[in-house]
Amino acid sequence: MRLIRNLKLALRLLARDWRAGELKLFVAALVIAVGAVTAVGFFNDRMLRGMAYQSAEMLGADLALVSPQPVPPEWLDEALKQGLTSSEALEFASVVVKGERLQLSSVRAVGAHYPPRGVLRTAAALYAPDAVADGIPAPGTAWVEARVLHALAAAVGDRIEIGSAELAVARVLTYEPGRGGNFFALAPRVLIHRADVARTEVIQPGSRVTYGYAFAGADEAVARYQRWLKTRLGQNHQLVGAREGNASVARAIERVDRFVGLTSLLAVILAGVAIAMGARRYSHRHYDMSAMLRCLGASQRDIVQLYLPQLLALALGASLVGVALGWAAQETIHYLMRDFFPLKLPAPGAAPALFGVATGLITLAGFALAPILRLKAVPPLRVLRREAAPLPASSLAVYGSAAAAVMLLMWRYTASWTLTLGVLAGALAAAAALAAAAFGLLAVSKRLHRRVGTAWRFGFNNLWRRAHASVGQILAFGLTLMAMAVIALVRTDLLSTWQRQLPADTPNHFAFNILAADVPAVRRFFEANRIEAQALYPMVRGRLTTIAGVPVTQTVTKEERSDEALQRELNLSWAAHVPPDNTLVRGGWWTDGGGARVSVEEKLAKKFGIELDAELGFSIGGEEVKARVASIRKVQWDSFHPNFYMIFPPGMLEAYPATYLTSFYLSPEQKSLLTALVRAFPAVTVLETDQVLAQARTILGQVTFAVEFVLLFVLAAGFVVLYAALAATLDDRFHEGALLRTLGASRRQLRAGHLAEFATLGLLAGLLAAIGTELVAYTLYTRAFDLEYTVKWPVWLIAPLAGAALIGLAGYFGTRRVVRLSPMAVLREL
Amino acid sequence: MISATNLGKRVLTAEGALDILAGVNLEIKTGESVAIIGVSGSGKSTLLGLLAGLDLPTDGEVWLSGERLTALDEDGRARVRAGAVGFVFQSFQLLPGLTAIENVMLPLELAGAPDSEGAARALLERVGLAERLTHYPRALSGGEQQRVAIARAFALRPAILFADEPTGNLDSATGARVIDLLFELNTERRTTLVLVTHDDELASRCARRIYLHGGRIVNGAG
Repeated sequence: MRLIRNLKLALRLLARDWRAGELKLFVAALVIAVGAVTAVGFFNDRMLRGMAYQSAEMLGADLALVSPQPVPPEWLDEALKQGLTSSEALEFASVVVKGERLQLSSVRAVGAHYPPRGVLRTAAALYAPDAVADGIPAPGTAWVEARVLHALAAAVGDRIEIGSAELAVARVLTYEPGRGGNFFALAPRVLIHRADVARTEVIQPGSRVTYGYAFAGADEAVARYQRWLKTRLGQNHQLVGAREGNASVARAIERVDRFVGLTSLLAVILAGVAIAMGARRYSHRHYDMSAMLRCLGASQRDIVQLYLPQLLALALGASLVGVALGWAAQETIHYLMRDFFPLKLPAPGAAPALFGVATGLITLAGFALAPILRLKAVPPLRVLRREAAPLPASSLAVYGSAAAAVMLLMWRYTASWTLTLGVLAGALAAAAALAAAAFGLLAVSKRLHRRVGTAWRFGFNNLWRRAHASVGQILAFGLTLMAMAVIALVRTDLLSTWQRQLPADTPNHFAFNILAADVPAVRRFFEANRIEAQALYPMVRGRLTTIAGVPVTQTVTKEERSDEALQRELNLSWAAHVPPDNTLVRGGWWTDGGGARVSVEEKLAKKFGIELDAELGFSIGGEEVKARVASIRKVQWDSFHPNFYMIFPPGMLEAYPATYLTSFYLSPEQKSLLTALVRAFPAVTVLETDQVLAQARTILGQVTFAVEFVLLFVLAAGFVVLYAALAATLDDRFHEGALLRTLGASRRQLRAGHLAEFATLGLLAGLLAAIGTELVAYTLYTRAFDLEYTVKWPVWLIAPLAGAALIGLAGYFGTRRVVRLSPMAVLREL
Repeated sequence: MISATNLGKRVLTAEGALDILAGVNLEIKTGESVAIIGVSGSGKSTLLGLLAGLDLPTDGEVWLSGERLTALDEDGRARVRAGAVGFVFQSFQLLPGLTAIENVMLPLELAGAPDSEGAARALLERVGLAERLTHYPRALSGGEQQRVAIARAFALRPAILFADEPTGNLDSATGARVIDLLFELNTERRTTLVLVTHDDELASRCARRIYLHGGRIVNGAG
């Protein structure tokens, strides 16, 4: 009864407070905080799902199953029952014939719904512009890769033979999901309709055929089906989910999620600080109300029952508005950035909205509850003695609850308490170091005191008088600007610095799949055309199966098991001498050219714990091969020379089918030789590294833009803190301003002082950002990328200027009320 | 109605213990009007705070409406105050975020009175502020603010009204009008009035006067 009465009164009081404008800043902080978090959440969600979709597109499915025999029909029925789209494909190797010419090809026979995810792209003729294909090849026709046409000297419209069947070439196949990254495929692709398989008569008992099943559908349905299927799989079935489909993409998604999530947490923490400041102010402003209520007979419990619901209603209301704001913000930014996303992002889901509201409640509870609960301890005597106030909330309660809230939210992104504590400790250490630097900067600026005019001195004074707040703000803005500068450097400077530092004649093409028989002819081709090529290295496909007698699946962790080096077959090579850009770090090279030994690349060895003299087991062409580790090699991968994880001595692998690999440099004028090379050696696959780099640049651009987008919100949260700090000092500033004006200061002088104060704050934050950027970039360039470092001068100019302009203006506008009121009104109110 | 025996309040200062009040004994009967008079620092407001249960004495006992305040905790004292005690302060103590009528409604709402708005409006009309219902305190003159505070004090028809220098922040003409109103309402509603003032003229309107000096009653205790 009393509770309900209190609830009603609480809501009425809330409405009155709201109308009187008491709550607006506090709510604004909360709205922007939740808005920032949700915008980030929505955007992350869309990007992550977009990326997951992209990897699904690369796989051509959400879930793929590969089997040497057809799977039981009920497996497919179950997929249908779960609401999944499925498609079946048969893959086999066959020689495609036209007239006198032959080409070994990889034939894929597909049915309806292929591919369930992603698209096929085809062109009407060789080198004609390609477009997304409509459906699959009609029965009686084939879509073939350009290499097939080259090899057969055929054109679209010609008839080709596969086994006993004759098919018409209808389109040139230019893109197929699941094939994009596979440069090592020996045989070019021929796509036909499933209905034509029987006609070819290629598939006989004992033929090597792979059955591929691709499934797509809603996330939960796919997960459910995957669980169902897992219990039924045999040894020879291979199940690949979109997330595992490409191990490196999956890891990239996880890292982006974690990194962007933790970045967005920076916004939450800043917002939390703003909320804590707002809550303190709110609490102080309600001491009188609380004292009056107590005086009128309200118990402590009544006070709690009056304020807690207000807080909750405020949190919910502001969170909902924040969610709407976040949604609108990410829609706007998404619209503005639509050209940046080649891929259409999926619509925002509901989860980020819920997380936004939860974040609002957790943040409010963590940062605002302690000071607001102090209201119940306001002594009623305050109505007689103004100075009677409750003891401030204990530091343990204030900082403890804030830290608990931050850790809870952080855990959401790290899903690990160790990592959470680690990140927190690292962040605290970094913040402490930067805070010391910020304090140093403030102290240096203090020395300039005597050399500036009155207005500036007034502004500087304000900064030192509130030194703690100033350092906090310099730190907040400095960190944000630093993060933005580092990201901008990574996007604009890092790749080009690396490219500039490569020697001019660094190979820019790789040639794979050179048949052993073609090796002398390829060498002659390079010589005749004056192409600078590296040596031709033999390459045998094999899988690492055991390390020191233990199967690798048992010796490595789950995450490492998805490593490409284990998942896929490795390229094994042999050499009599140490390749030019390799250096031995342990062990010795073979001189006698014999014995079952192997040289392992350093990073791979470290990753899998491969020691010198350990016995490694490989599976090559179905046979077991054992070799002892003779040496560990350091490889300079960015030399763009052919390099290998595993090198054997000559004489060990010659019995297995090998192809050859090399890299070479083509100047822009020599580009036309590529066509000649491909025509002369149809089986050869050529990879242009500039194209790969362009792709890397695009991906890097997208990821860094996403992070910058998040940082914009962190910056916005920084401004909320600035305004909250302003609000906390506004009464002082009113008083001070009024006094100064009664003493003869003009409005202009006061305004100049405010501008000086905040521009200096921004300038110092920018300087801090420049120092931090230089340190981070130096570490990044020299340690992570082995690049020569040059001082990033533009950052020293742009960061302080941007900081001074942004924060100067924000502070200037935030304080404009101070001089608007007449000094008389201000002094009377006080 | 109110009784205090051997009441003392001692605070610790940098120079040692300081007795703000000592050995105060007094008895106030229902319906009585009592002025507590003294110069600044004589302990008048401290005594008022102790009698109203807003603070606890270091010595002695206070009884209010048959309850021994000194034996209750803060929430217990709040329960005794609820509905039984009204206050008028020198600094008005209106909540700046609430309008005049909302300030008057606050105690009614807290007590769960049925038509708090109607009652508050009637009271404000009674104190002559029918035109000022929705004004915020900052838009009211000092006299008007104190009239709102008086309306708030009488809202729950309290048995006892404590007034702490009610005219201290007002000019003499305004103060006189506010005091007239206070005594009118006091008579109308037969409230026990305890009034703290340093103004002899104001004190003379009360039936009984208690003089405080240096924290002790110098005459008039009853």
